[in-house]
Amino acid sequence: MSLRDFARAQQLAEIALLNQGVTFSVYADGRGKSLGQLADGKSRQLEKIFPFCLVPRLISAADWHHLERGLIQRVHALSLFVDDVYGEQRILAEGVIPRELVLGAAHYIPFLKGLKPPGGVRIHIAGVDLIRDPQGRFRVLEDNLRTPSGVSYVLENRLITKRVVPQLLDQSRVRRVDDYPNRLADTLRSVSPSFPGTTSAVLLTPGPYNSAYFEHSFLARSMGVELVQAADLFVDQDQVFVQTTRGPRRVHVIYRRTDEAFLDPEVFRPDSMLGVPGLMRAYAAGNVALANAPGNGVADDKAIYPFVPEMIRYYLAEEPILEQVPTYVCARDEDRRYVLDHLPELVVKAVDEAGGYGMLMGPESTAAERDEFRARIEQSPRRYIAQPRIELSAAPTWDPTGTEIMARRVDLRPYVLTGRDGPWVLPGGLTRVALRPGSYVVNSSQGGGSKDTWVLKDAPEPRP
Amino acid sequence: MISRVADHCFWFGRYLERAESTARVLAVTQHHVLDAELTPPEHWRPLLTASGQEPHFVEQFGAEAVGDGDAVQRYLCFDEDNTASMQRAIAAARDNARSIREVISLEVWETVNELHLWLDRGQGATDWTLNRHGFYRRIRQAVQLALGLTQSTMLHDTPLDFIWLGVLLERMGQTARILDVHHVAFTRAAQAAKADPTTLGATHQVIETARWLALLRACSGGEPFMKVNQGRVTGESVARFLAFEPRFPRSIRHCAHAAYTRLADIRPPESQALPGGDTLAQLHGLTLWIADKSQEHLDLSSLHGMLVRVVDETAAICDGIGRDLLGNVTRPTPSVPPPAAAPPQISAPARSTQSQS
Repeated sequence: MSLRDFARAQQLAEIALLNQGVTFSVYADGRGKSLGQLADGKSRQLEKIFPFCLVPRLISAADWHHLERGLIQRVHALSLFVDDVYGEQRILAEGVIPRELVLGAAHYIPFLKGLKPPGGVRIHIAGVDLIRDPQGRFRVLEDNLRTPSGVSYVLENRLITKRVVPQLLDQSRVRRVDDYPNRLADTLRSVSPSFPGTTSAVLLTPGPYNSAYFEHSFLARSMGVELVQAADLFVDQDQVFVQTTRGPRRVHVIYRRTDEAFLDPEVFRPDSMLGVPGLMRAYAAGNVALANAPGNGVADDKAIYPFVPEMIRYYLAEEPILEQVPTYVCARDEDRRYVLDHLPELVVKAVDEAGGYGMLMGPESTAAERDEFRARIEQSPRRYIAQPRIELSAAPTWDPTGTEIMARRVDLRPYVLTGRDGPWVLPGGLTRVALRPGSYVVNSSQGGGSKDTWVLKDAPEPRP
Repeated sequence: MISRVADHCFWFGRYLERAESTARVLAVTQHHVLDAELTPPEHWRPLLTASGQEPHFVEQFGAEAVGDGDAVQRYLCFDEDNTASMQRAIAAARDNARSIREVISLEVWETVNELHLWLDRGQGATDWTLNRHGFYRRIRQAVQLALGLTQSTMLHDTPLDFIWLGVLLERMGQTARILDVHHVAFTRAAQAAKADPTTLGATHQVIETARWLALLRACSGGEPFMKVNQGRVTGESVARFLAFEPRFPRSIRHCAHAAYTRLADIRPPESQALPGGDTLAQLHGLTLWIADKSQEHLDLSSLHGMLVRVVDETAAICDGIGRDLLGNVTRPTPSVPPPAAAPPQISAPARSTQSQS
């Protein structure tokens, strides 16, 4: 394929994404730039396509087998941890993880103590962020166990690839990704408190102004389940119903893509009008399954991350398959002193921020920024962790400003589904790419893009 | 289906139909100006009246501008402050479609999304300047494509019924408004001409006929009318056709009957336990009343009163549907004003605040 052909294919792909409305929303509150104002004076939201690079990222069959085993092991241990935290708290009693670090976390929900989720599964959908270090080893950067997003772009990217460069895909023996929605639907049905045949599942979205709204509607329609907002639901006698044109109808499973803080004002934010009053009562009574289960925030907290290898050893009596990134927990005195002394070398992250917000990139920071973070860390050490900056591996990437293929840094977010019958890993995942030369930042909200991720099939057995 | 989703379906249909209707009326008027001997305000004012936006337009641009065809067209096409402008209708249709992306088909969504992007990114305005006819044509074709695709690519189920219920009720109201304001304008022009035979557009039959034909075309009814009436164009025959012809898809009678059928599918008349019974009964009553009227001799002097009743009842039925089936907050139903002499008081198009967001 010549560069000119490639440029044309790339352009076709972008037009297709725009016309199909494959977009994410950027909040026009100063974090993103507003396009303009509506007549009523409200600031308008920007809908942007997630920049897409047609050059795929390849992962060998052998690498993938390793990753797959590692991801399943990790998610298993994390779910046992959440079970334990809301159950006996053995791991805290034995001092493997400091008790106050867990129970003092913003995402620890005392209401859930002693509650078992319907179907027994807590982490139905996990998205684990990985990077590849200079030695070629995959390392876990972050676990997303609450409402991990991005899988729709994996599926859309593949659709576009199929449309624009079908012959390339065909020749490359790539594992398919398009059964994700069916797998997700199976996962959701498997934890229903009702019979599978009579189960009514819905996807709960905050609405069209949410940044991931495209994904919510994408998943709802590709599973054939209804997309609902909190105002469509109500609870009567600890059962959840959806308001329809023919009156109320029972709901058994909710794939919720809302923050748990907005699930139920009776339990979480009494000041908020958002959410479904009584939903948590229905959940506690076992009448509705929530995916992901509330409470997982204690396990994907950035301050808990350094302890995940210990969890794997503790609960599974295995050595961790996947490596992590060395992490300093500012809540620990010794770590904090090190962090404050080495700010220019470290990446500091707030434990409760996502999407690249609330970060200090030490090596690129100014003295003023470092001073600001030093003050913040000293004031609330529990809120910060720090990591050495790991050199991210790069992948060949189309430079949108020029007409060349250049090296750009990438990360990878594979998705793990866990139903009553065990885990399944989507072959591939979301490869995000830093489109700016030299940048380490891959978040969509910070100008990152994405690529199709090709997990190659095992080589056919050589003929004897 | 979920009430909120039904609400979006209903408004999706209404806004699409509104945009198409505006595009069609503007295109026809543009052509009509070239050969009908009416003063410019006589051409353009009825469009502002029918959209319910005349006071707002006059307030913004002054009374003189009513005769400025370009100003009226720009206002009805693009004005950000005009709640009935085509661009806003299409943006609203697209917003509703985006909220029910999981309900409508990909083909329908893409058609509406592409139309919206074409307008929103300024390409539409450029085409409007360079090729006015092509601009209106593109909007009509895109909307017709979208509505055709709802029929051929979606499940024939409740969501489709709600979309078409919106289309049909909007269409019924539009036909009634357009017929009303034009009939009044023609009557006025005829009276003025009778009083002063030197006026532009004195009432000889040719001009009268051209006006009524333009009205037919504004409702895509020119050819169907000829098939039914074989060239005999009179005010009475055109009014009768637009009001009562059961085989013409934009006639008031056809829309009322088709809307009743859709609503009866959504909410069967025999099911006492379901909400929406009163609204269904009201729509049924309106359908029967129109059928009765169609049997009587049509006197143009009674037309206005009849059309006001259609417009008001349509608004009340839309409110009822919103209240009973779509989960909207209860609003007072506007009272039906007594038939007034010309000029008609046309209420602004009813709209849901939720769907405007």
